[in-house]
Amino acid sequence: MAPNYNSKMIRAAAAALLSLAIALGLGASPERARAAEGPLPDVLVSRQLAEAAGLAVGSSIRLSADPSGGSSREFRVAGVYEPLPDPMRINASKHEARLHLPDLLQMTADPADPLSTETVDAVNIALANPDGAREFAREVRARRPGLIARPAAGGSSEAAVFVVLERFHLAIAIVTIVASTVFLLALTVMLVDERRETVGILRLIGLTTRRVMSQVVVEGLIIATAGALFGLVLGIASEGLVNRYFQWHYDTALIFVRITPDVALRSVAIAVPLGALASVAASWTLLRRSVLFLARR
Amino acid sequence: MNALAFAWRSLVRQPARAGLGIAGVAAVAALLFDMLLLSRGLVVSMQDLLDREGFDVRVTATASPPGTGPRLRQASRSAAALMALPEVDEAVPLGLSEVAFDAGGDVGSQQASLFAADTSRRRPWTVVEGRDLAGGGQPTGMVLLNRNLAAELGRRPGDSVTLRAFCGAGRSALPLVSLQVAGIAEFPFDDPTQFSAATTLGDAARACGEENRDEADLLLVASSESAGAENTRAAIQFLLPDLYALTNEEVVARLQQGEFSYFRQISTVLVAVTLGFSLLLITVLLTVSVNQRLGEIAALRALGFSRRRVVADVVCESALMVGIGGALALPLGMALAGWLDRILKVMPGIPAELHFFVFEPRAVVVHVALIVATAVLAALYPMQIVARLPIAATLRNEVVS
Repeated sequence: MAPNYNSKMIRAAAAALLSLAIALGLGASPERARAAEGPLPDVLVSRQLAEAAGLAVGSSIRLSADPSGGSSREFRVAGVYEPLPDPMRINASKHEARLHLPDLLQMTADPADPLSTETVDAVNIALANPDGAREFAREVRARRPGLIARPAAGGSSEAAVFVVLERFHLAIAIVTIVASTVFLLALTVMLVDERRETVGILRLIGLTTRRVMSQVVVEGLIIATAGALFGLVLGIASEGLVNRYFQWHYDTALIFVRITPDVALRSVAIAVPLGALASVAASWTLLRRSVLFLARR
Repeated sequence: MNALAFAWRSLVRQPARAGLGIAGVAAVAALLFDMLLLSRGLVVSMQDLLDREGFDVRVTATASPPGTGPRLRQASRSAAALMALPEVDEAVPLGLSEVAFDAGGDVGSQQASLFAADTSRRRPWTVVEGRDLAGGGQPTGMVLLNRNLAAELGRRPGDSVTLRAFCGAGRSALPLVSLQVAGIAEFPFDDPTQFSAATTLGDAARACGEENRDEADLLLVASSESAGAENTRAAIQFLLPDLYALTNEEVVARLQQGEFSYFRQISTVLVAVTLGFSLLLITVLLTVSVNQRLGEIAALRALGFSRRRVVADVVCESALMVGIGGALALPLGMALAGWLDRILKVMPGIPAELHFFVFEPRAVVVHVALIVATAVLAALYPMQIVARLPIAATLRNEVVS
């Protein structure tokens, strides 16, 4: 049942409160926390916020639900956490905090509405049988009209974003493959033309067209395999570089590029036959010519 | 015969080779052109969408995007204060919320976005059927639906609809409210599958059970003709220092730093990869081509062609190949951009009017500059081979082989 929704809303609200408090200079020192009467409620802050605001475990901070910083409440930083890498929030500020729900409700509740202290944005439910999520959601909707219940996995718009991005990347890959193939063909046409005399001599000494063609195919396969493997090594070598750059740029632990065995196999499976085909296509026009044409200077 | 004509004949002499080379350049350059369009496409398109509404400054309670942060309190009073500024032509409070329409039958309820605005001369929507909302923000009992929602609910102007609003924490059991459909409207930021509706702030407050509430998510401000957006923003900030005012340019710049940055990053990476790829391939093509004609070039030198002249031939051949390929890349790139745009626009939440690839003259200028630089760089190594070619030794080798 939308497992991330609740935590996201609370995190977002808390992040807004906390960033506001910090921005207003309401942060306090550990000394103040020690001087406070009674134990302060705990709060966890993200690594990014801790770094930006110079917070450490034991620091005390003041949070407020009011944009002007009014009615603020003091908290003690109980820990610093690394936010869960979330591709959907890659550009969002990672200045966030986690509070106990009663503490957050106490700050955000509307005094005129007694129900507001009993109100949350969402409830996450872990089912004993996760396969029954869709059925369970339907039942909740039927029993409590006005409530929105949906399974966390499958069919969400977040998944659709990545499906679209995958299609976009695939389209770019197709264009790149087409361009590479055309270039490869141009190169092989030139290389084959360069070997016109050699092919002519081979034909003159008795080698059949099929024999020469099989030689061309094998040669094309060897070159294509070597090229594909080199490309793979280059990809693996640059994988870390790309990840490090984007992880630094977005300040996240997300992995952006991962060359899996499936991706590697798919690359080789496309590159090798294409390379061999380009060799064959380029050689075909030459091999159709007569032996005398090939051998003449 | 000048160097260009000579290079042209060299290309024409081997049409298959030249054609494939040009086709390869065209394909790579088309991808390069598309990445240039993508690098600023969302920014240009979003700026156009924002400007089209007629409002050039947006005012919110905090730096958070509208709908995600605290709401503006005393919105009407703030709008009235802004209207008194000479720089401001119009200030319209706008509220955003979620509602569920009673769809009847098996469908049950249909969730939709509800825009609530005080009516003004400029509207953040376009009425395409029926009539617009009337009044100055007071409850009118009228609502506008977008086409998707009207079709889903099976309603036309004049019909009535029943809705329940979700007004944030503590209001989960609000009563149903009946409104009459005034017309069908298009909302600029709707995605193709979105359900949207609009009503006055008064009706939205009534739906939330808070008739006296005077809150909005943002104020849309239109500058007067004499004052620019930046001057208006400064005047607003001076008058209401607790609020956040952003011009459309600043909104777009924020998006470029945030939500749009992925596409800027990927376009930068792909521009670099594409340029490197085309540079490498064109260099290889020219080098192989020159190596095959070493005897011919040495003979030309022996006949009296200067070193500069044969180098110019190579540069011209590179320029012709890259130039023709680059020119073909423009229409090819536009067609490819249309395809890629259609792929990306399926992404949920993307307004139907927003485009990822947008044509700009400056993209063509950058494209041409990059293509010229690639042609020159790709020709450097073959030029060096030709310039340092030993005439006698090359001719002797040619005869001996």
